[in-house]
Amino acid sequence: MSVPTGSTRTASGPLSRAALAWRVAVTLGVVGLAVNGSVRGNDVQWPFAPMSQFAFGVDLEGQIRSTYVEADTTAGTTVRVPLTAGGVGLGRAEVEGQLPRFVADPALLESIAVAAARRHPEWPRYTRLRLRQEVSDLRGGEVVSTHTERLADWTVLDPAGLR
Amino acid sequence: MTRLSRWLFEPAPLARVALLRVAVYAFVVVDVLALHTSGWYHGFADPVWYQPLQAGRLLGLPAATVVLVEMLKWGSVGAALVAMTGRAPRTAGWAVALTWSWYQYVAFSYGKVDHDRGDFVVALLLLPTVGIAHLSDKRRSQAAGFALRAVQLGAIATYLLSGVAKLRFGGPGWVNSATLLRAVVRRGSPIGEVFAQVPFVLHAMQWVLMVAELTSWVIFFLPERWRRLMVLAWYLFHAVTYATITIAFWPHLVMLLAFLPLERYRDRLSARWRARHVTATAT
Repeated sequence: MSVPTGSTRTASGPLSRAALAWRVAVTLGVVGLAVNGSVRGNDVQWPFAPMSQFAFGVDLEGQIRSTYVEADTTAGTTVRVPLTAGGVGLGRAEVEGQLPRFVADPALLESIAVAAARRHPEWPRYTRLRLRQEVSDLRGGEVVSTHTERLADWTVLDPAGLR
Repeated sequence: MTRLSRWLFEPAPLARVALLRVAVYAFVVVDVLALHTSGWYHGFADPVWYQPLQAGRLLGLPAATVVLVEMLKWGSVGAALVAMTGRAPRTAGWAVALTWSWYQYVAFSYGKVDHDRGDFVVALLLLPTVGIAHLSDKRRSQAAGFALRAVQLGAIATYLLSGVAKLRFGGPGWVNSATLLRAVVRRGSPIGEVFAQVPFVLHAMQWVLMVAELTSWVIFFLPERWRRLMVLAWYLFHAVTYATITIAFWPHLVMLLAFLPLERYRDRLSARWRARHVTATAT
């Protein structure tokens, strides 16, 4: 091996033996964690989680479910709660990821009304929240009908006092 | 040295790393300020929704607050702007790696994990290890070569492991299931609506995707010219994905740049620009 031109600080030229060694060790470690995560890990191991987005099969004769939350407001309107970046602190996929908690304890919907009031003080307050799923039925891999399913309802305790 | 370590440490021009750094750190600024990943808005979420990941439990990371997300947001933007200048590449680079990765952790600890961002953490951790790299420095360095190779490996591993995950969770039957139809129905876009009318196109896309992911590693064995065409093909694939289901794996797109001779493209562009400029002033 040729003589290193100095420490790694000099940037150009070959690396010292120690500099090569830690790079190889880190590479092996990261590859090991990534393979382990992919083969038998799950999401909580991020950044060494399996790449499971879009990895699940969907039955051609099955259903596609899309979750949404609808709210009545102090202004007398009914709106779709934006489960997006500009919304209420939780995204749609996150609500879906924690869906069983909402169904088991609808009072958790109160936190959505609170987050909306904190982030968007100018919006009318939510008075009643309805957690719903739009269900599309598939036949032979095509959508043939849709209907709505009710998951949870919650009446906000003190809409005017939310802040 | 063995063939593998020669390949892993093949010297590369410092200018290439310098250009990749500009792209990576510029992306950090755009990502944090314009793409609105969920990290920021979790500052407003009730802590009841915080679901710590293993890394967070290990490091004792708390639930997000408005103060924390603002610190991570502006900390990563500030550090990225410094890093873009090429000054203090280690300090600034590791500051970006720390703040941006933590920001992603905040994004992913509320019930959903995105999988296109792990490889970008690799890039942020490795780019500082190259040290000072000037945009015009054509000298080759092993440290630069390793950083680029590792970023390439991270990008391709993301594809390969996505294919592996599809086999693990969806099984071989994944290619014949309605996964993309589900994505189109749930996310909707004008072009996606058209595709939903012709499910066989989505079905075919699943086959293409699975085959492309599972064979993505071939890129390392191709001649240079074909390698670049393959990178172009991936960019086209991501453009189609964005058009149909409005999902883009942004950080990953930046990682793919590590395959390209960026400094040569830049030289060619500036030569062309200069030539045009000269003829324009001469006429």
